[in-house]
Amino acid sequence: MTALVPTLGRRLAPHALPLAMFAIVVAFAISEPAFLKPDNLIGIVRQVAITGIMAVGMTFVIMTGGIDLSVGPVLALSGVIAWFSLDAGAPLLVGIAAGLSVGLVVGVLNGLIIARIELPPIIVTLAMLSMVRGAALIIGGPDLHQIRGQEAYAAIGSGNFLGLPISVHLFALVTLLMIFVQKATPLGLLVAAIGENERAARLSGHRTRLTKTALYAICGVGAAIAGIVQSSQVHTASATYGEFGTELDVIASVVLGGTSLMGGNGSIARTILGVMFLGIMNNGMNILNVPIDIQLIAKGAIIALSLALSEAKG
Amino acid sequence: MTTPLIEGRGLGRIYGTLTALADADFRVMPGEVRGLVGSNGAGKSTLIKILTGAVAPTSGTVSVMGEEVRLGDPSEMIRRGVACIYQHSNLAPAMSVMDNVYLGRQPTGRFGRVNRTRLEADTRALMARHGMEIDPLATVGNLPTVKQKEVEILKALALDARVLLMDEPTGWLSAADVTRLHRTIRTLKASGVGIVYISHMLDEIFAVCDTLTVMRDGRVIAERDIAETTRPKLVELMVGEKLARDSAAAAHEARRPRGTGEVRLAVDGLGKTGVFRDVSFDLHAGEILCVTGLIGSKRTELMRVIFGADRADAGSVEVDGRAVAFRSPGEAMAAGIGFVPEDRHRDGLMLGLSMTDNLIMSTIPRVCRSVFLDRTKVAATAKRLVSDLAIQPPDTDKAARLFSGGNQQKILVGKWLNLGPKILILDEPTVGVDVGAKAEIYAILRAQRDAGAAILVVSSDLEEVVTVADRIAVMVSGRMVAIHDADAIDRTRLIEEIGGAA
Repeated sequence: MTALVPTLGRRLAPHALPLAMFAIVVAFAISEPAFLKPDNLIGIVRQVAITGIMAVGMTFVIMTGGIDLSVGPVLALSGVIAWFSLDAGAPLLVGIAAGLSVGLVVGVLNGLIIARIELPPIIVTLAMLSMVRGAALIIGGPDLHQIRGQEAYAAIGSGNFLGLPISVHLFALVTLLMIFVQKATPLGLLVAAIGENERAARLSGHRTRLTKTALYAICGVGAAIAGIVQSSQVHTASATYGEFGTELDVIASVVLGGTSLMGGNGSIARTILGVMFLGIMNNGMNILNVPIDIQLIAKGAIIALSLALSEAKG
Repeated sequence: MTTPLIEGRGLGRIYGTLTALADADFRVMPGEVRGLVGSNGAGKSTLIKILTGAVAPTSGTVSVMGEEVRLGDPSEMIRRGVACIYQHSNLAPAMSVMDNVYLGRQPTGRFGRVNRTRLEADTRALMARHGMEIDPLATVGNLPTVKQKEVEILKALALDARVLLMDEPTGWLSAADVTRLHRTIRTLKASGVGIVYISHMLDEIFAVCDTLTVMRDGRVIAERDIAETTRPKLVELMVGEKLARDSAAAAHEARRPRGTGEVRLAVDGLGKTGVFRDVSFDLHAGEILCVTGLIGSKRTELMRVIFGADRADAGSVEVDGRAVAFRSPGEAMAAGIGFVPEDRHRDGLMLGLSMTDNLIMSTIPRVCRSVFLDRTKVAATAKRLVSDLAIQPPDTDKAARLFSGGNQQKILVGKWLNLGPKILILDEPTVGVDVGAKAEIYAILRAQRDAGAAILVVSSDLEEVVTVADRIAVMVSGRMVAIHDADAIDRTRLIEEIGGAA
């Protein structure tokens, strides 16, 4: 309702997301006290870890005015490759490295085509989405591959450490690392500079193409990490994971966090707020037994509304 | 006496403290082609915007065919038959010629369906009336640029335009196409249309105009019949008498042609196909070499090649006696070259980032400790540059977009000074900068020169050239035609050379 009062609205607009989150938490907590139980709250973070890890990598890409639609199939292929490696008797770390290399290769390819040939990111990564999905299906087939006898691998997704799920630790680690990169390294500054004015960044002597390629590689590796967490969480790998809509949740989180799709301004920390917002929405509606069809409509409406609110500041 | 098609009297426009236009009288008679000339910032575009209704003047009146009109209303001006053809196309490239000409006003039949037979007939009739020939069904995007210009003219004529304002209409055209466009203009003129022709290309002004209006510093300073003026007289009118005073004053400044005598940058036979060719010059440590010429003489393109932002396809460049062929600006910077681009918003600054971030943008490795940004060094660097350059306000966290033009330019210059360049290239370093900041920027350039840097300045502003140059190079149509010691060339000669009348 703040949007109806211009001055108040303008002052609150930059904080629209935290405020909306707070309002929703209060609403859920009143209608279902179980929502606030520590187990449920940890459960929410565990549920969003996979989307969250991808959203962190996606933030830099979107800050440069780009986008990566290929994260869903990369998630699937990474899990499948890790499974095949482990199944063939590879040590744990080799299996994980094989899975991560999928993200690296796809990301570098995305980056090279976008930065060198200067094709639009939306087309390049859409084409890559299709190709990677195809590759996953060729390699993995339509079956679910059970992960058996891999205690250590399974622990990534379902184990606990210091009372918290390991996937939550991993999410926190990736997030803190990337917040650090953004705040304290030249790369963080360069991402903002490219998003603001790529021509000027190049004329300032920066290797803008190399940087963009690296950012797509980071995004790809993020999706591959998510793939490993996912497959170990459900003890199966499948070529069909990361189905249509995965990339939309990731992009919605980033945009909810205030990063403009036109590039420039953006923040990893705020992306995490966006991720949590979507996670809380999903969890709260599940607890309240809202049917899935209504959930989808409500989620879309809330994304559109939050964006309209944050645009209102201009 | 005939009534002027359009007549402005005492037009003025003030933006804040800046007077963009003062007390300007302007008129166009039926069948007249009037040239409008002046350097950048002379007030031409403000005048045109008033005539198209895009801005309202703060003083003065405009009459169309003797009738005073409401100002600041674009639809009113279009209704009265005043149309403007801009430098960049305003057509829908995927649509046909006839759809573009009658866009939004196509003749319709029942149920609002477009009557294509009548549309085509109308378009043909219109073209016949004005002696033009284009296939009405052709897709605009597939036409050569000159035909697209004709479609724009037709579109204006379809609205019964009596006055056509043409802003740099030949910017994208080849010489043959320019001739063709001029033929069209003569046909229009014969049918009584009045034309305002704005161009930096003096050749074209002399080829097609009957009369001209010269503007400088927001005022109309002269009106002439084309028959009674010459090219040197015109250029002198454009740059002004103040130049004479300033160049006299600057003569008291010690000039240092060839500086210390040590060659920093040697350019030999440099060429880029279709852009510039056979450019040779030496730039010495401790001198300021100004490269001047008309807009479009390819000076910026030359500088971009030297800086590694574009590639040459002939000739060589040496820095300190070593042959170089930079593949990127980063390589040029490693060799000690800095480049302040002309368009600070498009090529220079990250407007949304803070002044600090902009100031360190080309020297990031120097403010790092191992692979991390060292915030203490960053802040110290920004603070030092802000005080060296007297940037106002000294708020280092403020976004670059919030600074005035002059201070934005100082931020941009500061960013490059921080590199400590051996060779500093500046492209139009004071465009859109107020007089005070201009003087400060000149002082910074002189200080750098005195400290031994080699400085290369591209400037169209003759006042600036005679103020700061130790030597002056002249470019005409992609060729460097002459290099002079600044003391040894007289102004008239320089103006003649710039105009290409060597």
